Order: sequence, then structure tokens, then C-alpha cells
Amino acid sequence: MKPVWFLLFALFCLSVSYAGSKKHDAFVEDNDFAEFEEFEDEEDGAVNDESDDEIQEPVKQPVESEEMPEFDDEQEEEDDDPMSDDEFEHLHDEEEFENFDREKDAPKGKSPDKLPDLQMAKVPLHLRTSWDSFYLEMLMIAGLTVYFLNFLAGKNKNCKLATAWLSAHKELLETQFSIVGDDGVAKEVTSGVLMKESENVYTLWCSGRTCVEGMLVELKLLKRQDLINLLLRVFKPASDQVIVKVDLDDGKMDNFVFCVAQKRSAAKLHKDMNDLSQFTERKSSEKFDMPASYQLLSEVGEATSAILDKKVCQMLTKHEGVIEYIHISDQFSGPKVQEDTQPTKMPDTKACLMFCFTIPGKGKTRASDMENLKPLLQLVFYCVDKVSRLQLSREARMKAEKNRQKAEEMFLKAAHTQRQELAQQRREERKRAEKERLMAEEDPDRARKLEDRENRRESKKKQPKMKMMKIKAM
Amino acid sequence: MQQQNPNDPKRATKIVRYKAQPAGGPGDDPTPDYMNLLGMIFSMCGLMMKLKWCAWVAVYCSFISFANSRTTDDTKQMLSSFMLSISAVVMSYLQNPQPMQPPW
Repeated sequence: MKPVWFLLFALFCLSVSYAGSKKHDAFVEDNDFAEFEEFEDEEDGAVNDESDDEIQEPVKQPVESEEMPEFDDEQEEEDDDPMSDDEFEHLHDEEEFENFDREKDAPKGKSPDKLPDLQMAKVPLHLRTSWDSFYLEMLMIAGLTVYFLNFLAGKNKNCKLATAWLSAHKELLETQFSIVGDDGVAKEVTSGVLMKESENVYTLWCSGRTCVEGMLVELKLLKRQDLINLLLRVFKPASDQVIVKVDLDDGKMDNFVFCVAQKRSAAKLHKDMNDLSQFTERKSSEKFDMPASYQLLSEVGEATSAILDKKVCQMLTKHEGVIEYIHISDQFSGPKVQEDTQPTKMPDTKACLMFCFTIPGKGKTRASDMENLKPLLQLVFYCVDKVSRLQLSREARMKAEKNRQKAEEMFLKAAHTQRQELAQQRREERKRAEKERLMAEEDPDRARKLEDRENRRESKKKQPKMKMMKIKAM
Repeated sequence: MQQQNPNDPKRATKIVRYKAQPAGGPGDDPTPDYMNLLGMIFSMCGLMMKLKWCAWVAVYCSFISFANSRTTDDTKQMLSSFMLSISAVVMSYLQNPQPMQPPW
């Protein structure tokens, strides 16, 4: 009985040290044949398990990592197996087959029947050790969560700002327009609908006013829903914007293009806008009583001085940072298209007024700030009425008309040269194709025939001139 | 055009319905399109080259694309971009459940 006790003790010590030394996956299995698999695989990772009938086998399961050979431990454990005789012999045979001589060094003995005390907890080693190493993944998921929460918060904030703007201005709008807020989708004309273009752009359509076809108010709020944009704004501050576009009725406006804008946006507008780049030039704003931060782009001086009256200049001074630009044009066709795609027909032009207001506060807009923007909307209506009433003098009208004709001529010229270039290209293409066909012809007779025909055609092209001359000479 | 009350600028007879501007104009924000494309590229890199960080970046791209999308945009496209990026993450972890190695 003594060797059994000794064996049991040795087994206990080994299994404890073994379980402690293992830092990787180990599965526990009651499979009697597992030991054969394990010997074939020669892989490590083992946890002891005792079955109810007091037979203990060290069973191993192959795991992913194939390094860390711990053969000594395994063998010793297997030596200590208190198994029934035939099973023990099997083990023994296996070891001999594998040619493990060191087994003799291990102490031998038989374990007693007190095995249930040795049950080892099944520790999922991979769980315990690996969660810490997944910190990058956790960081990613945390980032996604923060992004999503910010998305919800920013979306709500933008929605609140937009509705605050509408409720602040609705009364004023309703005194001016028959319909405020039509979505253009419903069969009947609706009202009070603030359309959401995206999470940060809201639009409002108003219609039914004298001289005006419609007015589109676009609330371009900051992208508060986008965390990346929020972080970028730390380096590049931006503000919420209100862009008002008033489409005038045809023939309600005399021909002129005019723009007054903050210097930083004036250069950009002058470059990007079709009508501004075509008709206007930079003028000094000294003779008008307005802040120096504004740049004047004008076509007809008379119209400019008529629009920049005392009241408008006062507004410009009072709301210097807020009014970004006022753009009045009878030839509005939006921003220029890409250079490489020259349009083949004149862009559709429309008489319209554009106003852009920057909501002060550098992005920290509160819903209560929207009330302060009311005077600006009144300025819009003032300008609309002024423009529709404005009558230019005969000379000014002539000048504007001349400018428009010149622009049209230039455009037609450009289109003509473009067409010619296209035709030339096509001709060359055809010539090349013809030549290629000639070269590809294998039969020399046919090739010569084709060449002759080509030559005859070429000479025929030149002939008529000669003939005409001959007839004239006769 | 002048009606009974000349001081009232409202004209109920002149109502014009709203016409939505066609999408894809020059004023449109290009961010969602770019992010969609980037997300697609990163998903493919994640799937083909088993780069886990690519798959994660693809998930971020599709999130940004979603946050910046227009309401008129195709939701199917958004959904497919999400599915592709998430499947890139799942596949890369199924093939190799080891944690991502930091680049440093």
C-alpha cells in the first residue's frame, strides 16, 4: 500500500505544478483513447481529471500553439497513472514505442482510493489570460460607442436648433408668404414642414408672395453628429449658417449683378460663381458707409449705390460678422462646373437673391440665439422689395445689356471652337482607321487597289478648285 | 398683380410647389461617398489580407458615412457597407482569434 500513497502524493505535486505552469488552453476529457491521440500529436497542454470510478488519466487536447514542449511533465504524470492493469500496460507499451527512457527516473507507486479530493477546477485558461490582451479591440469598440452616443446627441442638438429657428421666424414668415414650409411631396400644399436634407442641413420652402416665386431657407448647421468633424473644428473653427435664396419672378428685376461679401468669402465667390466671375469686378467700398471687412463686387454702379442705401449699410455695420454675403443677380446659374467639361449650351439663368448669415458664437449656438436673427430676415424682405422696385437708367440698362450680349458671344465662340476641335479629332480618327486597314491588308493587289482609291479620292478633293479656276479663265 | 390690400405682400394665387434639387449637384457634401468608398476598400483589405485594423477602420468609415448621409440617400447601400465591414471584422477574428497587435 505504501507505494500507492507515494505515487498519489507525487501525482498531486505534479498536477499542481503542471496546472500552474500551463499558460494556454487545456481541455478536459474523459475519453479513454485520448492518450493515444496525444502521443501521436506530441502536443502539450494537459489538465488532470478524475473519473467517478476512481480512475485518473491525464488527458490532453491539442491546442493551437505547438511550442513549449513539456514532455517530462507529461511522462511523469503518465507514469503515475493508477489505472487498471491492461490500461497501464497500454500506456507502458506506448512509451516504449516512443522510446522514452527517462520514465525510469520517475518514482513509481500506487495511489489509494481517495481520489475525489484531487479534483481540479476546470479553469478556462484562455479566458483568464487573454481578455487583457484584447485591449485594442476594446478601445475600438469604446470608440464606436462614443461615436454613436455623440451621433445621437449631435443629431438632437441640430434638430433643436432648427426647430428653434423655425419657431422664432414663423410669425414673420407667415406675414410675408401664403405658405410657409411646403415639402413638395404631399398632393396637397402642406405648411409648417421643415425638411431634413441630412442630419445637419434643414430646408424650408416658402411661397405665395408678390414678386417672388419662392424662398428657400437652408439651415446649414455644423456637423455635430460627426465626432470626427467635431474634433476637426477644434483646429478649424466654423459656425452655423443660414442661407436664404429668393427666386424672383421673371421680369421683376432689372439686369445687374451685385455682391457684397466678407473679404474671405468674396474672393471665393468671385472665382466660383458663374455670374460673378463673368459680369462683376472688384470695386472699392470706400464711398459707402460700411465696414472695411466687406468687399464689393459690382457690375452696374448705379444699382450698387441704389442697393447700398443707408438702411442696408447700417445693417451691415450692425451685423458685421453675421452677414456673410448678399448676392443679387439676374443671371444666377450657381457655381461653376468643372473645367474639363465645357457645357455645350448656356446655363439656365434666373433672377435671384442669395443671403448668407453666419450665426455668431463660433459653433456654440444656443436655441435662444435664433431670436436675434429676426432683423436679418427683415433685411431680406427689404432687399427683395427694393430690387423689384428698382428701375435703372437708360444708360445703365444699355451697359448691362451689352455685357450680357458679350458674355453670350464669348460663350458661343468657346462652344464653336470646342465643336471644331471635336470634329477635327473625329476626322483624324477616321484617317487613322483607314490607314490601319490598309496596313492590315495582306493581299498586295488589294492593298494597292485600296491605296489607289485613297489617292484618287484625295486628288478629287483638291480638283474642284482647279476646275472652277479653269471655268473662270475660260 | 396688385390686390385689394397693397400693403399685404401675400399672394395666395402665386403658390409654387417646392421642387427638390437633384442630388449630386456641386453643393453636395461629398463626405458620405468618400467614406463609403474608403470603407469598401478597407473591408476588402481586411477580408483578403486578414488585416484586423483594416476591418476596424472599415467599420469606422461606414459609421462616418452613415452619420453624414443625406436623407435621400439609398439606405440599401448604407446597409451593405455596414454588413461588409462588420463581416470583415468577424471573418478576420474567426480565422485568427489572436488579439490585434499594436503597431508599436
